[in-house]
Amino acid sequence: MSQASTHEHRPQHWMSYPRFLSRSLGLATDGSFGFYAWMTCLTAVFLVGANAWANQVVQGMVVTNMTDHVSWGLYIANFTFMVGVAAGGVMMVIPAYLYHDKQMHDVVILGELLAVAAIVMCLMFVTADLGRPDRFWHLIPGIGRFNFPISMLTWDVIVLNGYLLLNLHICGYLLYTRFLGLTPNPRWYVPFVFVSIVWAISIHTVTAFLYAGLGGRPFWNTALLAPRFLASAFVSGPAFIILSMFALRKLARVPLPDGPVHTLVKIIRITILINLFMLASELFTEFYSGGAHTSSARYLYFGLHGFNGLVPWAWSAIVLNVIAAALFLTPAAMTRMSVVTIACALAFIGVWIEKGMGLIIPGFIPSTLHEIVEYTPSLVEWKVTAGIWAFGLMIYTIALKITIPIFSGRVRDLARDPE
Amino acid sequence: MGERKSISLPVLGQVSRRTAMKGVGATLGAGAFAAAISPLRRIDEKVTAEEFMQRHYKELSDSDKRDVFTRLEAQAQDEYGADVSISDPRPIPGTLFVYAINLSLCNGNGKCVEACHRENNHDRATNQSYIRVLEMPIGTMDMEQGNTTYDHPVPAEGKFYMPVQCQQCQEPPCVDVCPVEATWQEDDGIVVVDYNWCIGCRYCEAACPYHARRFNWKKPEIPADEVNPDQGFLSNRIRPEGVVEKCHFCLHRTRNGRLPACLEACPTGARVFGNILDPDSDVRWIMENKRVYVLKEELGTAPSFFYFFDS
Amino acid sequence: MTVRLAFAPSAFNAESGSATIGRGSNIARVSDASPAEFFPVVINRPEGPPRLRLDAPDALGRPVTVACSTCHTIREPNIENRSTIDLDEFHQGLSVLHGELACLACHNPGDYDTLRLADGRAIEFSNVMTLCAQCHGPQWTDYQRGAHGGMSGHWDLTRGGRVRNNCIDCHDPHAPAFPMMQPTFKPRDRFLAPAHSREGGGHG
Repeated sequence: MSQASTHEHRPQHWMSYPRFLSRSLGLATDGSFGFYAWMTCLTAVFLVGANAWANQVVQGMVVTNMTDHVSWGLYIANFTFMVGVAAGGVMMVIPAYLYHDKQMHDVVILGELLAVAAIVMCLMFVTADLGRPDRFWHLIPGIGRFNFPISMLTWDVIVLNGYLLLNLHICGYLLYTRFLGLTPNPRWYVPFVFVSIVWAISIHTVTAFLYAGLGGRPFWNTALLAPRFLASAFVSGPAFIILSMFALRKLARVPLPDGPVHTLVKIIRITILINLFMLASELFTEFYSGGAHTSSARYLYFGLHGFNGLVPWAWSAIVLNVIAAALFLTPAAMTRMSVVTIACALAFIGVWIEKGMGLIIPGFIPSTLHEIVEYTPSLVEWKVTAGIWAFGLMIYTIALKITIPIFSGRVRDLARDPE
Repeated sequence: MGERKSISLPVLGQVSRRTAMKGVGATLGAGAFAAAISPLRRIDEKVTAEEFMQRHYKELSDSDKRDVFTRLEAQAQDEYGADVSISDPRPIPGTLFVYAINLSLCNGNGKCVEACHRENNHDRATNQSYIRVLEMPIGTMDMEQGNTTYDHPVPAEGKFYMPVQCQQCQEPPCVDVCPVEATWQEDDGIVVVDYNWCIGCRYCEAACPYHARRFNWKKPEIPADEVNPDQGFLSNRIRPEGVVEKCHFCLHRTRNGRLPACLEACPTGARVFGNILDPDSDVRWIMENKRVYVLKEELGTAPSFFYFFDS
Repeated sequence: MTVRLAFAPSAFNAESGSATIGRGSNIARVSDASPAEFFPVVINRPEGPPRLRLDAPDALGRPVTVACSTCHTIREPNIENRSTIDLDEFHQGLSVLHGELACLACHNPGDYDTLRLADGRAIEFSNVMTLCAQCHGPQWTDYQRGAHGGMSGHWDLTRGGRVRNNCIDCHDPHAPAFPMMQPTFKPRDRFLAPAHSREGGGHG
């Protein structure tokens, strides 16, 4: 459809937008038995998490197992990982918009919706980690006091919320125009898509700088942190998208082409190797030079002074990532869905450990006074974390539930359909 | 999702059953959510409206401060049964505080740790204190060889002792990272926290290279008769739960000219405190005549806290 | 009869004990105050010569103390004596662990109610720090500049006074090594393993 026809059927937005919303609500809540069962399970887990969080707010952070020694735990670990997943969606956007990959262009919204869900999860994880969530408003520029540009956390607030808004706009605009049966006007979304490419890099860079800027934490204080964050994000994000595309095909029988999967596998083949290479560089530097600044790495991989709580995590991450890399590199990764599925799952879990228990926690062990206090998340922390994951999956499910029928053209705004 | 092409407005008759079921589901879900977060109903016991609305310390007028202090005093009476008085001593012009510790004298007895605990209304159950003392083998400065949990008579053979507390850095990384300006450095070098503004993100705790910051994982428990009633708004008043705190060089004492509690408690006389801008001060003499060092100098934090040995 | 030596309590005596030390230590430049506006630095000091408490109380059950000179005026001083081992009447069990010093290195054989400086001059017990300073020059220098010796009160003498320890508040002159202490207040952080559960040199 041309620009001209858009003008011909200029939609009455005040009429059609409410119809779009109400139809979206209908799509989001209509489904098969499997859909209801899935949503019910997620709701149940989310409620358990919400309850655990409410108790944490009332009883205090003492219900977590964090301490003054390990002052960030499972929440910030998951936050860091989810920033990566959000940024990983850009690996669909780049082929779609920069390399004009037609098939990718058709499914790129999956990555953008994933970014929305992941960023919402990030914001929830940060909120769960706050000792005083009631003072959240202190962070709002204008009302509170926003320590910008000195505090990297304020940068993170900006880039995360900015990325959320960008993707909400892009997805919302595309969905709405498709719903109206119009061709989206590139003016209204392509510039935002290009901004979002840079922005995606920025969210994980800023999040890495959050840690890398701390001179007192040598484990994080490395220039390689941001590149590693990005490399691993470009493993975990695409891996999750491949898995969700397979799930859509299998469970919801959505016909999705193979092309985008192949492109993503090709991307992961590179990024997972870059990530492993950077890991090797870090390990070499840490262990060949030795010294006090490497004690976190020694603790993480081999244990220190008889404390070795993270050793199984660290080696699991390495093993998972190496096996995943090997699987991705086999020719079967292009042909056999089962191989790709396993590889993606292993890589996703591997990066989750690497960015969480393997990165945030050892930054605190040993402490800055070289005391060793170990950390295992408490039940409350696991519940809240599970609840946020469930909520994120709910958002993603609902978003797909609305998007797929509209994008496939099965759902249209008939009230103003020219046909 | 193999549904047929449908129209935007649901036809009531056709889908009324499903719509009704959705309504039931939504109601149940909302009810369950309300039940799940019901513990939050107790939040008003923890946060009053005035407390919620309270502005940042630097935005409080003198009369605002009086109201806030009165409220906090009433709160201490209410929650701890203690009759306290909260003041807000400001930096003395021309003063820059410096602390120095003579490690040849310190024997690791920990009286400073305890004095801090009592002076600053720390939680009794956790023996909270702003000071940790490392026992280190003579012959190294590597803190990895250190230990804070030693419980034998001191000084032990072949060991020296190094108390560590907030170094009141002149380039404080903790202040830089705070997203809401809840912590800042005052003119006399003391880094303070507005306990009513801190959101409890603990970024400062991660940023501090000296393990100087503490988080209130729970509400501090202090028996009424042990509460120190001489309290500063930016120092030792009883901290709310969920916020970060730190050593403030006992500013409620030192800004009135007094020595810090940890210094007075030291039985070995290892601690020296004063105004470095005063050319005749003890700390100035130490800086000029002893070979002093600071912890982790390579980080560029420029501590106002010095260590030295007798030659 | 066994007799133990008891030092006069090094009580703070506001009238006689006041002393300003060092070269106008802690003059608060900023306030540009004249010395008259400074509060005093008071050094703890013995009130006078120590008195020895006898083991046996008097007829009314009150403790009996005697001045050093009570016995020592009628006894020949023994310049050689370095310990209490050879003594059979008084000062038994007093451990003397102060370098190679003989008793009369510090006690004055001419007047046992005073001390004696190295040049032979007598000095009052209340000025014992001068005696200590003869040998412990670096410590005395440090003390004068606040780098040695405990204190309490004010860092800012324009706002209040200061009380300082005397050498003998912390150091027993007969066995001056600072005593061992048992730390009584240890961190009880959650999950911080206590010392005894740790291996080897202990980490923590």
